[in-house]
Amino acid sequence: MKPTRGQLITAFLCLIPLAILFFEWRSGSLSANPIETLTQRTGRTAVILLLASLVCTPLRSMFGLSALLPIRKTLGLAAFGYAALHFLVFAGLDFEFNLGWIVPEIRQKFFIQIGLIALGLLIPLAITSVQKFQRGMAGNWRRLHRLVYPVMALVLWHYYLASKGDVLIPLIYLVIFAILMLFRIPPLSKISIGSKPRWLVRLNKFLLS
Amino acid sequence: MSKPIKSSEITPEALYLSRRRFIKNTLTMAAVSLYLSACGNQSPAGPTAQPTDSLPLPSAGASVDELGNTLTSYDDIIGYTNYYEFSTDKNGPTRLAQNFKTSPWSVEVGGYVNNARSFSIDELKSLFDQEERIYRMRCVEAWSMVIPWVGFSLHKLLEIVEPTSDARFVRFETLYDPDQMPGQRNSFFPFPYIEGLRLDEAMHDLTIMATGLYGRDLSPQNGAPLRLVVPWKYGFKSIKSIVKIDLVGEMPTSLWMASGPNEYGFYANVNPNVPHPRWSQATERRIGEGGRIDTLLFNGYEEEVAYLYDGMDLSIDF
Repeated sequence: MKPTRGQLITAFLCLIPLAILFFEWRSGSLSANPIETLTQRTGRTAVILLLASLVCTPLRSMFGLSALLPIRKTLGLAAFGYAALHFLVFAGLDFEFNLGWIVPEIRQKFFIQIGLIALGLLIPLAITSVQKFQRGMAGNWRRLHRLVYPVMALVLWHYYLASKGDVLIPLIYLVIFAILMLFRIPPLSKISIGSKPRWLVRLNKFLLS
Repeated sequence: MSKPIKSSEITPEALYLSRRRFIKNTLTMAAVSLYLSACGNQSPAGPTAQPTDSLPLPSAGASVDELGNTLTSYDDIIGYTNYYEFSTDKNGPTRLAQNFKTSPWSVEVGGYVNNARSFSIDELKSLFDQEERIYRMRCVEAWSMVIPWVGFSLHKLLEIVEPTSDARFVRFETLYDPDQMPGQRNSFFPFPYIEGLRLDEAMHDLTIMATGLYGRDLSPQNGAPLRLVVPWKYGFKSIKSIVKIDLVGEMPTSLWMASGPNEYGFYANVNPNVPHPRWSQATERRIGEGGRIDTLLFNGYEEEVAYLYDGMDLSIDF
C-alpha cells in the first residue's frame, strides 16, 4: 500500500535525529566520548517516538483525525528502528560484539535485561505492522499491539535505571505516559469535539492522501 | 616502559609548545585590548574571555605514563567533565564554569589537628613544590583519561596542621555557592559535595592536591583552584574546588554514598571484580582512543596501594 502524505512527513521528521547524529559523528562533534553520546541519543529518541506513537490514538478520537492511524504505524516503526540502533551501538560499537564482554554485562545489569525484554517485545509489533499480516489477524492484532503499553513501561523503567542520580527526564516521560493512559479509559476516552471545523477536515484529507 | 613510543604519542609535546605560543598570544592580545579599552575604544572580542593563567611550569616532558599510556589531549580533558555543580552534561561545565571565581580562594583545614588554620591558594602553591604527576583517571562510568596533573602530595599539607591521635578520616568539602554553581540547585543531590579518605589513604604519597594540569592552572571545570586526585579510586572521589578539609574520627558520608548507597561505597577503589549496576567495571574506554581496554585492579597502582586494604573484603567495602 502506498504511504500517505502524513506518513511521508512523519518518516522525514523521524530521520532528522539520525541525520544529525550521523553528521555530528562524521565531524567529530559527538563529545569526547562519542559512543556514550550515540547510546544516549538513540535511546532517548526511541523513547520520545514511542511516546509520540501513543499520542495518536487519543488525538484521533478527540479530533476525528483518521490520518493519525497510519502515522502511528510510522512512529512505532521509527521508535523500533532507534531502539534497534540503540542496541547495536551497545553491542557493536561499545562492546565490539565481544560475547565475553556482552554476556556478563547482560547477566550483571538488571536495567539492560529490562531494555532487552522491551526490545524483544517490540519485534512482533514491528513485524505485524506490515499490512498483509494485519488482515489475517483480525481482533488478535489489536490484542497483540496492546503490548506497547507494558513495553512503554519497561522502556521508562530502563531509562530510569540507566540515569545517574538525576532522574528528572524519565520521571517527566512517566507522567506523560500516565496522562496518555488516562486518555484511554473513560471518561477521558470519550472526549470528542463532535463535528470537525473545516480546516481539520482538510488537514485530515491532506495527510491521508 | 619498554614499549616503543609511536610518533603519535609525541603530540602532547607539540601541544605544550603550541599552548605556550597560545598563552603568549593571549597575553599580548589581552594587553592590546586593555590598551584599546583605556583609549575608550571597543575592546576586541575573544581573547579577553580566556582565563588568566599563570605561565606554564616547566613540563616534565613525558608524553606517556609509567605504563606507556599516551596522555589524553588537553582539549578532551577540559571539554569532557563530570561536574554536577554546574551541569549533569559532560560539556555543560566547560560552558557554565567559565566565570567561576577562583581568586581569592582559601581552604579551611581543621578538626582533629594541632594547628587548625586556613591557607590561601597562593600560599599553598608557594609552600609546596608544584610537581607534575601523570596519573590515569578512571571514572566510575567506565571511561578513563591519562592526565599530567600539577600539584603536591596531600601529606605535606597534613603534616603542617598535625593531625591528633583522634583523627582517623579526612573529610573534604566543595564550595557551596548556587549563584555561581547553578547545578547545586538540583534537588536530586544533597550538595555541598563531600568526599572522604581514611587517614592512611590521605597520607599516601600518590594522593595529591592538584592545582593545575598540562603545566597550566586548573580550568574551573576541572576543579579550580584546588582539587583532590586519588588515582587508584574512581574519579568521583577526587573532589573539586575544595574549601574545607577536616580531620575527623568517623567515616564521612560522601555525596554519592548519600545519593546511591548501593552503588557508591566509601572506598570506591577501582576494581574490575566488583560490578556496578550501570557501568562495566571490568573494562573501560580511554577517551580519545578507540575500543575497550581491561580495567586494572586499583587502576594499575596495585603495587603501591594494595597493602592499605590487607585483610579487607573489597566486595563488601566497595
